Amino acid sequence: MLKITNLETTYKDVILALRGISLQVPSSKIVTLLGANGAGKTTTINTVSGIRKSLELKIEDGTIEFNGEIINEKEPSEVVSRGILQVPEGRRVFAELTVEENLIIGSYSLSNKRKFVQNMDTVVGYFPILKERRRQPAGYLSGGEQQMLVIGRALMAEPKLIMMDEPSLGLAPILVREIFRIIKRINAAEDVAILLVEQNASVALSIAHYGYVLENGRIVMDGPSEVLRQDRDIREFYLGLTEVGTKKSFREVKHYKRRKRWLS
Amino acid sequence: MEKIIEIVFSGFYTGAIYALIALGFVLIFKSTGILNFAQGELCMIGAFICYNFATLFNWPYLLSFMTAVAIGVLVGVLIDILIFRRMVGEPIYSTIMMTIGLASILTSVTGLIWGHDFFSIRSPFMGRTTALAGMVFSRAALWTLGVSIVLFALFILFFRKARLGVALRGTAEDADAAGLMGINVKKMHMVAWALGSFVAVVAGIFLAEQSFVYSGMRHTGIKAMSAAILGGLDSIGGAIIGGFVVGIVESFAASYLSGLEIGSFHFGDVKDVIAFAIMIVVLMIRPYGIFGKEKVERV
Ligand SMILES: Nc1ncnc2c1ncn2[C@@H]1O[C@H](COP(=O)(O)OP(=O)(O)OP(=O)(O)O)[C@@H](O)[C@H]1O
Ligand SMILES: [Mg+2]
Repeated sequence: MLKITNLETTYKDVILALRGISLQVPSSKIVTLLGANGAGKTTTINTVSGIRKSLELKIEDGTIEFNGEIINEKEPSEVVSRGILQVPEGRRVFAELTVEENLIIGSYSLSNKRKFVQNMDTVVGYFPILKERRRQPAGYLSGGEQQMLVIGRALMAEPKLIMMDEPSLGLAPILVREIFRIIKRINAAEDVAILLVEQNASVALSIAHYGYVLENGRIVMDGPSEVLRQDRDIREFYLGLTEVGTKKSFREVKHYKRRKRWLS
Repeated sequence: MEKIIEIVFSGFYTGAIYALIALGFVLIFKSTGILNFAQGELCMIGAFICYNFATLFNWPYLLSFMTAVAIGVLVGVLIDILIFRRMVGEPIYSTIMMTIGLASILTSVTGLIWGHDFFSIRSPFMGRTTALAGMVFSRAALWTLGVSIVLFALFILFFRKARLGVALRGTAEDADAAGLMGINVKKMHMVAWALGSFVAVVAGIFLAEQSFVYSGMRHTGIKAMSAAILGGLDSIGGAIIGGFVVGIVESFAASYLSGLEIGSFHFGDVKDVIAFAIMIVVLMIRPYGIFGKEKVERV
């Protein structure tokens, strides 16, 4: 369904971020894109989403195809109207808007406005807490609730493909497992493909069908999840505790700061 | 007591006009990040266009009013498409310079078309009054207040209840995230300019009713900007309240200080600077205005 071929992108015309990557997300499958900080994961999905201008991000070479159509030069709203939704890194809820208003914005691309009620039911079916909190400003939700909200917000648009950028970021392990279980359920029940960007390889590989490993803007490895889980390098670098452990805790500190400012 | 009611009423009257203009500043600033120094000029051309139809062409007042609003909205949309669409994300000083340039262009064009005299809009309110509870109110004031209050209510409802209103607020908060939800950010900027020009033109016509149609009326824009800053530049409710506060304080200053003179110093003139004085004091205490929020910072 999504097919990226030899994609090469630069920031500000000089910083080469992606050096010719190819990957595919078949319909109704979960594909994970793993990589350390700065590997180019966010760049990949932002390129697909078409948010290039504000980032000074440019496609130098390669193609992005969705259901056979080349979408290299599409605007973000055109990408969304084709059914590709992004759940951005660091959650990016509309903090000043209520939970319900965030979901209204999620359904903005639907031409049939009546679907709002029906899709809202679907979303609160997965995340009942959002119903309780629906009149509160999204900025006052906890990190886990905000992550549920942004996933729900994307679901409101009846997507064919959701690209999630590090949904585990800054969440307690128990919450991560819960959210990933729900992601798996959504994938099966809503017939939506998921491109799951993660640093947390063990939990990502536990629900994904297929995985790619990105390093320095290059795909260095790919294969079915079971195969990747057995791979020695992956075990050492992504499933090992020490290195990933320290990186993650750093990210958590950074993220905690970000959230605090977001609310003040 | 009657005197107080009179002062408060006239404060609300002028305040409603400031509030409308201030609302325009906030709508445009919040959505596009552009501080539009040409807001007073938009009021001015709105008043001139209405004058053109109502007085020169002898059209019915309401029809002239609507036509002026429609043309004003069109001008706002064109300003966005031709100039500011390209300027989104540019540093604030360069966009401010653009709006100042735009302001002087609008002023010269107005002078070229209509000249530099004082005119008035032929309206059904001119010089007429209504007696209410033993007091006499000018019809123009009642009309201005009535329409403004309805407009404020509609705006607040629009931003709370309408999908488009919610989308505008979302875009104002995080344009990239809004784009990721399928919102056409350019279109939202255009809507903001359209709404900002709409309230400016309405305010301009009301202002002309209160005094005259003349090029100096554009200076009210800066006074209204101080009202907007007072309320907090990113708060719609704040802009409205700020406008009324400035109007009422001005009205009190005008009435209690006007007789007072020491040597050549006329205290009545304080009225015209009082808005700026309040703004300065408020900004010293609350740099983001009374209802403004500290800018959200991203890491
Ligand atoms: N706006 C930008 N301007 C310039 N360079 C950028 C920009 N955003 C990212 N980069 C660079 O591009 C490379 C890839 O960054 P990207 O954000 O895609 O990494 P990532 O894999 O998402 O990392 P993380 O796990 O930290 O989110 C990095 O070297 C980064 O420094
Ligand atoms: Mg990233």
